[in-house]
Amino acid sequence: MEGLTAIGAGLAIGLAAIGTGLAQARIGSAGAGVIAEKPEALGTIILLIAIPETMVILGFAVAAMVLLLGG
Amino acid sequence: MNVEMLPLAIVGLKTDLHDVIHSLREAGCVHIDELSESPEVSARPLTLDRETLRRQEENGFLLARIEGLLDTLGASRQPVQQPAQESDLAEARTGVEALMSKVQGLTARREKLQAELASLPRYKATLKKLLPMIPPSAQQPGFGTIGILVSRMHVGVLDSIGKRALDLTNGRADVVASDVDIFTRAMLIVFPNEFTTEIEALLGREDVSRLRLPAELGEGPPDVVLAALERRMAAIPEELKTIEQELMELAGQWRDRLLAWRETLRDELDANSVLSRFGETDMTFVLVGWVPVKEFEKVQAAVGERAMVQKLVMTPELKKRAPVSLKNPLPARPFESLVNLLALPRYGHIDPTRLMAFFLPIFFGMILGDVGYGALLLVLCLVLIRKVRKGVMRDVVIVLAMGSGWSILFGFLYGEAFGTLGEHFGLHALWLERASPENVAGLLIMSIAVGAVHVTLGLILGVWEAFRDRSRNHLLERGGMLVGLIGLFFVVGVLVDYLPQAFMTPAIVGIIIGIVLLGASLGWLGILMGPIEFISLIGNILSYLRIAAIGLASVYLAKVANDMMGMVGNLIVGVIVAVLIHALNLVMGAFSPTIHSLRLHYVEFFRKFYEGGGRPYQPFKSQL
Repeated sequence: MEGLTAIGAGLAIGLAAIGTGLAQARIGSAGAGVIAEKPEALGTIILLIAIPETMVILGFAVAAMVLLLGG
Repeated sequence: MNVEMLPLAIVGLKTDLHDVIHSLREAGCVHIDELSESPEVSARPLTLDRETLRRQEENGFLLARIEGLLDTLGASRQPVQQPAQESDLAEARTGVEALMSKVQGLTARREKLQAELASLPRYKATLKKLLPMIPPSAQQPGFGTIGILVSRMHVGVLDSIGKRALDLTNGRADVVASDVDIFTRAMLIVFPNEFTTEIEALLGREDVSRLRLPAELGEGPPDVVLAALERRMAAIPEELKTIEQELMELAGQWRDRLLAWRETLRDELDANSVLSRFGETDMTFVLVGWVPVKEFEKVQAAVGERAMVQKLVMTPELKKRAPVSLKNPLPARPFESLVNLLALPRYGHIDPTRLMAFFLPIFFGMILGDVGYGALLLVLCLVLIRKVRKGVMRDVVIVLAMGSGWSILFGFLYGEAFGTLGEHFGLHALWLERASPENVAGLLIMSIAVGAVHVTLGLILGVWEAFRDRSRNHLLERGGMLVGLIGLFFVVGVLVDYLPQAFMTPAIVGIIIGIVLLGASLGWLGILMGPIEFISLIGNILSYLRIAAIGLASVYLAKVANDMMGMVGNLIVGVIVAVLIHALNLVMGAFSPTIHSLRLHYVEFFRKFYEGGGRPYQPFKSQL
């Protein structure tokens, strides 16, 4: 049971991280192009890149709940 | 905080235009707007007189020449010692003319020598290939030598030319050929001088490329030419050195004057460029602009009797166009750069710089929370502050230094110095030991509590902004979120037995009212979007879990570094590995908390109240 809990927690954060990574890769490459053309957009690009991070943080929250409450 | 601005119009006689411009530049506090974008004042755009246009054109041309000279002399990026006076510009014209001819002569000669130096090795390689096969007749007086280069794909042409040359000279010519490289084959024809015309005609008909050497090397057989070529190759670097020396001397003599003229010309052109924003009537000029309220009298005093300075009534339309100048206490000023990184706040709206200056370093400290890393980072930042004198980079370093201070404080609260290493030196947590698994839940709750406070503050500010703007939609949206969120806090309070059960029903009613208000701000779509927006608000608060998550990642990496030291077996290798991992953690500890604290502000906090898109206040003043 303990092992399954750990696997569940790992999946929760791991899959969320993959999702975040895929989103950030696309936004990041497009954002780099925008910054090259328009350096003043740096703040907006950081904001756009940061938005998908919520997914991995929510994954972390779920993983923490699985470990703390499920174990 | 936004500096309070006053809209104004300045009207004067055209004859006083240049004097008024000069006075306004001296005052250095009027932001001049495009008259075409200011419907409050009716006048046609100012047409510049012929004399002003001619002077602008001349100055622009002179500036371009000076910039070209500075580039050539390698002095364009050097600091200006003393800007020139406007009256010096006449001297600039004659000076630039004299210097230009000298510099052009030297650079043309340098380019020619460089091209020669680049091409001579190719001739040398070809001549060296030809040298072993030179027939003895080439050295005899009365004989001429011609070299031919042909692609190896067309070697048949060479054979044909060789035969024809022998026929033409009745066998008195010597013809030899050899491969120069994998693509080219060369042929030498040595012939009595009386056959020069026939041989030249033959080569002209065949349209082959002759081996033509630079005229400086003279005429003669390949061995003589090769010796001349080697002498030339040895001499060119010396000549180049002399030219560079002369250019350096010229740079030394003229640099300061050129830089001073450049700055004065740029300033003059900048001053005149503002004229395109003015308007005119038959006899008068008019300009519309902005001045900080406190500076109004200064403008009046500067302009004096020469023009009339008229305050305009601040209408809502004018307020939307007002330029923004931020004014914050010294410790908060570095955060202005971080706010501007997103967007400048709109005039009359909340400037979040002070709030950011308060919260961001605390978030940084909460995430890093390590005495050792904090102290190292603080020392590093203090060194960098002394080196980086201005710009966004300096602001970022100061922000990092403030965050490092908080990191040391939280390090004591968490009981961390280079992760768990502090424990070995008697450091114990004053409040919450993050590294301990049983405290993880407490850490997560603390992060969410911080998020709840931060987001609620953002919503309160948002409601206040909406109220001031008389924006019904924003009031419904932000008010709905706030009411729903407070209801949610009560529900959580009841669920964790912190509040009595009697609060549950009003709390749920609060959430429902909040969602309905939120939905109402979105129209019909609100039936669907209201609940989604409310869930996304909860997501915003949960996003603050990153304070715990990133902090924990840093603690465990530090713990790995410390444990590795004991596991490697060899003390020296263990220490090296630990130092490397700690160094990596420190670098990540500087970047990651900064980026995430910024994100929490930009995405979670600012979006509740922030109105960006302000125009920067750019007073018309001399850049000298």
